[in-house]
Amino acid sequence: MIKVYSTPTCPYCVTLKNFLKERGFEFEDIDVSQSQKLLDEMVEKSGQMGVPVVDINGEIIIGFDREKIVKLLDIKE
Amino acid sequence: MIYDLIIVGGGPAGITAGIYAARKKIKTLLLAKQLGGQPTEAWQIENYPGFESILGVDLAKKFVDHLNKFKNDIEIKGGETVCAVQPLREPFSESPPENGSRSNDALFEVATDKNKYQTRSIIIASGVLPRKLGIPGEEEFKNRGVVYCATCDAPLFKNKIVSVVGAGNSGLDAALQLTKYASKIYLFNKYPAFDKADKEYINEVEAASTVTIFNGALVKEIRGEKFVRSLVWENTETHEIQEVETDGVFVEIGSRPSLQFARDLVEFNERGEIIVDSQSNMTTVPGIFSAGDVTNNLHKQIVIAAGEGAKAALSVYEYLRSK
Repeated sequence: MIKVYSTPTCPYCVTLKNFLKERGFEFEDIDVSQSQKLLDEMVEKSGQMGVPVVDINGEIIIGFDREKIVKLLDIKE
Repeated sequence: MIYDLIIVGGGPAGITAGIYAARKKIKTLLLAKQLGGQPTEAWQIENYPGFESILGVDLAKKFVDHLNKFKNDIEIKGGETVCAVQPLREPFSESPPENGSRSNDALFEVATDKNKYQTRSIIIASGVLPRKLGIPGEEEFKNRGVVYCATCDAPLFKNKIVSVVGAGNSGLDAALQLTKYASKIYLFNKYPAFDKADKEYINEVEAASTVTIFNGALVKEIRGEKFVRSLVWENTETHEIQEVETDGVFVEIGSRPSLQFARDLVEFNERGEIIVDSQSNMTTVPGIFSAGDVTNNLHKQIVIAAGEGAKAALSVYEYLRSK
């Protein structure tokens, strides 16, 4: 289960989401600018408030950290 | 393996240089920490010909896709950081040695965090990094209220109190973006009055009811617990120290050239930018060229960076042919 916490204006979020889509991964797209509750959830999970944050089966990745995402999702590049 | 050209940087300048070099069949390696460069962080771009209005991230993707079309003619390595560039032999004279041609020898070694490469010429197009405040609390609260990309994070500060440090165009732009979200915005200008910003931006900021402008205000410290709670600043006239409650600090004080790896090699101006010849984009070292925001060009624009990338690649072509 993949969750992406993002804002609509954040370029790295768009890049990250395209990266996942292009490789055929489905994810829950969470717009934290729309809900204080979801923003709090992201802050709680990641201990910080920058976007994007990716939750891959409970593993938290801050920012578009391509190497970590590739490793966690076992993507062959 | 000796390359004819190594391009350092994957923004508009590096990508354009790569496209031109590939079309000229120059044996090229392009090294970039991340392809796309600064446009990736811009919001709407409305001054790049052919695109009346385009998201920065979309324009950057078009650049990268265009470069990738040439992947049979150019080697592209993302995710490598250049650490050092070293000349392999002295002196840097233009004339060949007396005992014959040296044309196929490598002139430089480029070391990254992962590999070492040899090349006959280099284009430095490594761009700029955001300038930091260098005050207590800045590092500690990075991503805990301290923000360097207003476009990215402004929506996270809905109904919050935020501070913007810097009153140039990018500072005023950040303040204006924040008016859509934050309940209160403090704008800190270290100068007694607006200095470099465009009149259009100044008028808009002055008219915004949620923006309070502090002129002659030098920020001293960012305080907080888990997240930013307040900002300490000094009135530069009275030297009085004050503290304001704030949930976010948006740092918008410009950028600095990103070129630590070439520090001892080429000449710089007083702003730390690489000095290039305006005709050829060659640096003070023959064989090393430079393009884009890292150079001493006056206007930092995407279209100019792209143009300089083209100039540098074509100059490299001439340079290699003359050797």
